[in-house]
Amino acid sequence: MDSMRCQLRKAASMIPGHVQSSVRPAPPPFSPVLLLGLALQPLRPQMLQPLFDAMLRMIRARHPDILERMADYADKPVCIDPTDLPFVILLDPHPEHPALLVRRQIENGEAAAVIHGSLETLVALAEGKVDGDALFFSRRLVIEGDTEVVVALRNAVDGAGIDLIDDISAQLGPLGTAFRRLAGTAAGLAGRLRDDFETLRASLIAPAVKDVDAQGARINALEAEIRQLRKAQRRGGAA
Amino acid sequence: MASTLPPSRPELVCPAGTPAALKSAVDAGADCVYVGFRDETNARNFPGLNFNRKELAEGIAYAHDKGAKVLVAINTFPRAGQPELWHQAVADAARLKADAAILADIGLIDHAARHHPELRLHLSVQAAASNPEAIAFYAERFGVKRVVLPRVLTVQEISAINARIAPVETEVFVFGGLCVMAEGRCALSSYVTGQSPNMNGVCSPAGEVRYTETAQGVTSELSGFTINKFAANEPAGYPTLCKGRFIARDKASYLFEEPTSLNTLAILPDLIKAGVTAFKIEGRQRGRAYVAAVVQAFRAGVDAVMAGRPLPEIDLDRITEGGKQTTGAYEKAWR
Repeated sequence: MDSMRCQLRKAASMIPGHVQSSVRPAPPPFSPVLLLGLALQPLRPQMLQPLFDAMLRMIRARHPDILERMADYADKPVCIDPTDLPFVILLDPHPEHPALLVRRQIENGEAAAVIHGSLETLVALAEGKVDGDALFFSRRLVIEGDTEVVVALRNAVDGAGIDLIDDISAQLGPLGTAFRRLAGTAAGLAGRLRDDFETLRASLIAPAVKDVDAQGARINALEAEIRQLRKAQRRGGAA
Repeated sequence: MASTLPPSRPELVCPAGTPAALKSAVDAGADCVYVGFRDETNARNFPGLNFNRKELAEGIAYAHDKGAKVLVAINTFPRAGQPELWHQAVADAARLKADAAILADIGLIDHAARHHPELRLHLSVQAAASNPEAIAFYAERFGVKRVVLPRVLTVQEISAINARIAPVETEVFVFGGLCVMAEGRCALSSYVTGQSPNMNGVCSPAGEVRYTETAQGVTSELSGFTINKFAANEPAGYPTLCKGRFIARDKASYLFEEPTSLNTLAILPDLIKAGVTAFKIEGRQRGRAYVAAVVQAFRAGVDAVMAGRPLPEIDLDRITEGGKQTTGAYEKAWR
C-alpha cells in the first residue's frame, strides 16, 4: 500500500502545473494542438467542464458498455493527460455516478493511474484507429500507477467502437448533418496544418540535426579507431 | 506420405477480444474469429476484455451473416474439483452455436465429447500436442478435428506431421506474440505472480505490472521485481519474465527471448504447401486497429498465394512488439 501511494505521488508530480515536476514523461509533439494549448493556458479549466459533462452524457447514452466493462474498477479514477494541453481529465468510472472532470492538475492520490499522450494520440486510441499496445511499444503512450485499470479502460474503450463524429452528430439531432460537414472541413484543415507544422519543425531543427549527424559520424570514427587500437594492443600482448 | 493434391485455401483465424474487434476482423476478411468468455476459462482473461453470453450470441450472428465462423477458446485448465465454470462455458458455446470450441484440458475435452457431441472440437496450442501420436490420440479418443500446433516446429516438421494425421487438420500461428516456453506448461508467470495463463488465463497479470518513468527511460516491474529498463527512445515490449532483461556475467541481455513478433507473411507459400488448414493470428488482447491491419495483410497474402500472384509487401513494423519481427521456429534461422 505504501508503495502504491509512493507511485501515485510520483505520478501526480508529473502532471502539468505541479511545481515539483522535473520530468515530462511524454513530451508533447510540435503540433497545432500545442499552440491551441498555449492559447488555452489563461482559461480556467472549469470553463470547459460543460463540454466534458456533455461528452459523458453522450458516452453513457451511446456506449454504456464502457462503464459496464469497467464495473470492477468503480473506485479507481484514471487521469488522462493530453500532454499538449494545459489541463488533465479525471475519469471516475463508477457505474452509478461516473464523472469526467477537467482540472489543471490532480491532487496526490486522486487517481489510481495516469495516461499521458498527445491529444491526437488519445483521440485516435479512443476511436480504435491505433493499437494501444503498439503505442506503448513505441513509447507514444506513457502509463503510470495501476496498470490493471489502464488495461481495462483501454479494452473497454476499444471495444465500444467509438466514432466521435458519428457519436456527436447523433446527439445533435437535426444539426448533426451540419456538424458532420463542419467536422469534415475541420479535419481537412487540421491535416494541412499538421503538415505545415511538420515542415516548420523539420526546418527549425535542420541545423541541429546536421550537427548531431556530424557528431554521430565522429563518434563512429572514434569507436572504429578504439577497436583498431584494442585489436593492436591484444596482438601486442599476445606476442 | 505427402499428398499430391494441390493445396487448398487455408482459413484465416483471427483474434477478437471485444465485439468491435470481432466486427473489424470479419469486415477485414477473416474466415474465422476466435473469442473467449469474460472469465478465467480462456488464456486471455485480461481486464475489460472478452465477451459475455449476449455479446457472443450477437457476434456469432454477425459473423455467420457475413459467412465467417466463430470459435470459442476455453483453453485454460479447470481448477481441481471445480470444473463447473468450464463445463458451463462449453455448454454455452454449444448452445449459442459456436462453430467450434478450442480446448486444452484432457478432462474438459472428454466432458465436451460426451455431453456435447454436436460441438466441433479443436485442440488448443495450450495442450502442446506436437507429434502425430499425441494428435492421433486426441482425434481417435475424443473426435478432435483440428490441432493448433505449438510454435516450436519447423515448416518441414509441420509438413511431416500433416502427412501422418489426415484427416485431422492443423492450425499454425502466422503473426503476433511468441511464447518461448512449452505452451501450457510455462511456470514463469505463476512463479513470480502466483497467476498463470494455464490456470488463470493471464500471463504477467496487469495488476502485478508497474511502469516507472524517469528521464533515462522506463522501468517495468512485475510483482516488485525489475524485469526491464528501456532507454528513452528504445521500443518497449510486454512485461513478461521470458522477455525480461537480466544481468549475467555483468552484462544485461535478453536471456530467454527478445521482444519480437512472429511474422510469416514471407513464408506463407511454404506453410500452404506444408498442408496447413488454418492460419492463426495471435492477439485477442490487442485493439481493433491491430486486428484490422493484420487481418487485411494476411487476407491479401493468402489470396495472392492462392491466385499465383507475388506476395504483397506489407509493412507491419508499427504494430510489432519491440519493433522487431521473426519467422521464429518455422525457419530456425539461429541454427
